[in-house]
Amino acid sequence: MTSTRFLDPAVLARIGNLELLARTVVDGFINGLHHSPYFGLSVDFAEHRPYMPGDDVRRIDWRVYGRTDRFYVKEFEADTNANFVVVLDISGSMDYGSGRITKLDYARFLAASLTYFSRQQRDRVGVVTFTDRIVDFVPASAKHLDIVLHTLDRVAAGGSGSLEEPILKITEALTRRSIVLLLSDLYAEPDVVQRSVGLLRARGHDVIVFHVLDPTELTFPFDEAAPFVDLETGERMPVVPETLRDEYRTQMTDHLAALGERMLHSQVDYQLFETSKPLDYALFEYLARRERMSRVR
Amino acid sequence: MGLTFLAPLLLVASAAVAIPILLHLTHRERSEAIPFPSLMFLRRVPYRTVRRQRIRHWLLLVVRAAIVLLLVAAFARPFVERAGLGAAVVGEGRAVVILLDRSASMGYGDRWARALAEARATVDALDPEDQATIVLFSERADATTQPTGDRAVLAAVLDDARPLATGTRYGPALQLARDILDASDLPHRELVLLTDFQRVGWEADAQLRMPDGTTVRTLELDNGQPENIAATGVLLNQDEQGRLAVAARITRPVGAGAAEVAATLILGGSAVETRRVQLQSAGATTVDFAPVPMPDRSIRGEVRIESSGLAADDAYRFTAAPRETVPLLLLYHPNGRADERLYLQQALAIGDDPPFQLDLKPVTMVTPDDLRERAGVILYDAPFPSGQRGRALHDFVDAGGGLLVILGARTGAGAWAAEAEGVLGDAPGPTVDRAGARGGALSILDYRHPAFLTLGSSRGADFSGTRFLRYRRWSPPESARVLARFDDGAPALAEISVGAGRAMVWTAGAANLWSDLPLQPVFLPFVREIVRYLIVYRPAPTAREAGTVLDLRADLAARTWGPPSSAFGAASEQLVVEAPSGERFAVDDGTGYRVEMLEHGYYQVRATDGGQTVTVAVNPDPAESNIEALDPEVMVSAVSPTGAAATRAAALAAQLSPADKERRQALWWYLMVTVAALALAESMLAGRLSGGIVVPQRNRGS
Repeated sequence: MTSTRFLDPAVLARIGNLELLARTVVDGFINGLHHSPYFGLSVDFAEHRPYMPGDDVRRIDWRVYGRTDRFYVKEFEADTNANFVVVLDISGSMDYGSGRITKLDYARFLAASLTYFSRQQRDRVGVVTFTDRIVDFVPASAKHLDIVLHTLDRVAAGGSGSLEEPILKITEALTRRSIVLLLSDLYAEPDVVQRSVGLLRARGHDVIVFHVLDPTELTFPFDEAAPFVDLETGERMPVVPETLRDEYRTQMTDHLAALGERMLHSQVDYQLFETSKPLDYALFEYLARRERMSRVR
Repeated sequence: MGLTFLAPLLLVASAAVAIPILLHLTHRERSEAIPFPSLMFLRRVPYRTVRRQRIRHWLLLVVRAAIVLLLVAAFARPFVERAGLGAAVVGEGRAVVILLDRSASMGYGDRWARALAEARATVDALDPEDQATIVLFSERADATTQPTGDRAVLAAVLDDARPLATGTRYGPALQLARDILDASDLPHRELVLLTDFQRVGWEADAQLRMPDGTTVRTLELDNGQPENIAATGVLLNQDEQGRLAVAARITRPVGAGAAEVAATLILGGSAVETRRVQLQSAGATTVDFAPVPMPDRSIRGEVRIESSGLAADDAYRFTAAPRETVPLLLLYHPNGRADERLYLQQALAIGDDPPFQLDLKPVTMVTPDDLRERAGVILYDAPFPSGQRGRALHDFVDAGGGLLVILGARTGAGAWAAEAEGVLGDAPGPTVDRAGARGGALSILDYRHPAFLTLGSSRGADFSGTRFLRYRRWSPPESARVLARFDDGAPALAEISVGAGRAMVWTAGAANLWSDLPLQPVFLPFVREIVRYLIVYRPAPTAREAGTVLDLRADLAARTWGPPSSAFGAASEQLVVEAPSGERFAVDDGTGYRVEMLEHGYYQVRATDGGQTVTVAVNPDPAESNIEALDPEVMVSAVSPTGAAATRAAALAAQLSPADKERRQALWWYLMVTVAALALAESMLAGRLSGGIVVPQRNRGS
């Protein structure tokens, strides 16, 4: 894998069709994966495993028993067809970008790519967008790929955001165990994030949190004194960046560390994405890590 | 390398460098708000007073400040002085002028030796690029060579240099030095002033500033408290017995307290008499030596005092010649009475400057031989001779003799022979009687005429009390110059030039009959001055002052009576002059028979083909005896240049060719290129820095 294969988000942003974009990203990624030493995703791989006491005897694969004289339990393919639900934060803060794309764009690309990828695994796909309320809700279905991609394509950021209340409603709406991909900039206290994610975990959902941030939010490279406007609340605040930069970075670092710690504690896959990073590279990094984590588990 | 600016005032604009500094100090607050996802973390930062006057982006500031400064420097038109970078254009080296004082006062103590040593040291210290000129000066200044870097030539000049007897004048020397330095193309200029700073040679208002950039160097020659006594003059007087009385002037221009000195009269190489005199500080006295018999030949003499201070003025040299009378011939009317001529005879007999030898003869008895060896003829109330005698008299005047015609009762119209008309013009007319009133008076007397210069400056020369009862009317010829008129406008005295000689006509007689002039005090000098003028009397001085230019033909060879060149032989074409130092040189028509006498002592002049030898005594300029020195700083400050470097630069630029000027000012071009490069760097740097200032590109908002 060479860096030239990485897909620049800014380049991808020029692709108007989100499906085409997702295919571009995922196809390239899968092709790359076939050459990778890492082996697939647990969610889409059927396997045989030795029978363990307590397993349903109906799951014993008798044909394997006939050849090997040992009991193996067969994981049915139907069990790997999970629901894949994208929960996308479209609050005003997501409409920020120092480069060519905003955080919402980046999150949209990620969501589309993973949705397309999941659909390739024959998972059912859905999407939920929220600000401080549920904006769009597309239930997970094997036939909803187009709707999901269309929904992702037309979302527009705006309004103040909130995490706990919308996720509570999402939790109530998702009746089947799902793989929930939360895409947000997580401007909330780590405890609130943990509590919100905890609601999903409590229902047995496999929760993945993609923390999408602009590089500017991490480094705070502003130079000139200026009034800063909160994109969600419209609040104005005079800021002398050079005097605040260090403390801002400290706050942000602490925030990210706290989130990472809370997510780990909640057994949630947490990944920070900078919008300047290539999409396929970011995905690869995440999936590789998830593979390693799954082996540990 | 010297760097200056053609427009230095523009450098004031360098203050503009404060602009980028202020810009970097001032944290400009953007007017438009910056959208940001969340102020969550910013709100947590506690508020505190922020000191904002802090320089940001040092590198950018340095680049911007450099741009401003270089831009200002470029517009100020940097100008390369000749040294350093400009050397390729204008060259290196110094123009050195060594002003070496060789006046008589430099002989005081060891001044001359020290000045000469300093001059040699200066020559030895010359670099190969340097060019030096040695200017020897006293009363006048001479550049001994063209500016040269040949030290052998300069050393040879110094080897030949010696102090003279002439005075000191700084003006011409400084003027010459300035001209030499001004004409030099070399970038550095130096004036080495080797003098004793004699006060008498310096004019207080002299403003002879050297060209800009000239450094002035002097040598301290002060020998402490100066002390000098000098013999500065003699007065020679010969009585009728032929005895010579010498009175010497001894002065003490400088010195403290009283001093006693012995003065010795030396005649013909033998000491005649020694007298001791007392002198106070800044005092003078006269020493009268006893009269001594005067030999019948010209002798050398000197008054010598004991050595004191300056050696050159310890002796005053002179020449003394036997008393010589001036031969005059008075022609009178055969019927004239002796008492009529009494006043005139007495007036000419009194006095010894010169002593006149007056011979009397009736005009009818005069022969051409009587006119030979005469300095002048007085035609006293007698008709102009006719025939051969008249032509002889005419020739006498025409050859340079003097003729005074005094009209009287016997010189009517009939007494004017035809020969007289060529000399005196028309015959006299009738007499004019002014006895009816109080008599006539002289209304005009030309005191500017050389004959009356002495009278004009004398209070006793008053003709206002003189009454003229009768005079003869006479119309002078066109060529005549009327020197005096009566109050009715009639000519009283007129001068007529006849060939090489002079003639004057006086229309009012010289006896106490027609006027009371012979009774007036002014009569005696009036007559003597007229006669002295007519015979062109120029007494040979007993001594001359160093620096005098002697015209040998006019001052020595030609006597006022007798044919020219008689002293050296009529056919002499070349004369040989032997200076006191023993140096001999020839003078001839090519040099105009002129000799500048710069040494003190006796000059001897003789013709190459024989004839007598003439001795000329030359003494130092008496002003040199006053060796009081001026504060060197006074002169140095007066001659040191005051111009600024820019003026010097402008002067240098003015001497350069246009191509050179452009080349030497091309530095601005390089500065502008540097500015352009810095501006490009600044643009890139600023862009890079501002690139870190993130501004949301898209903020759709809700």
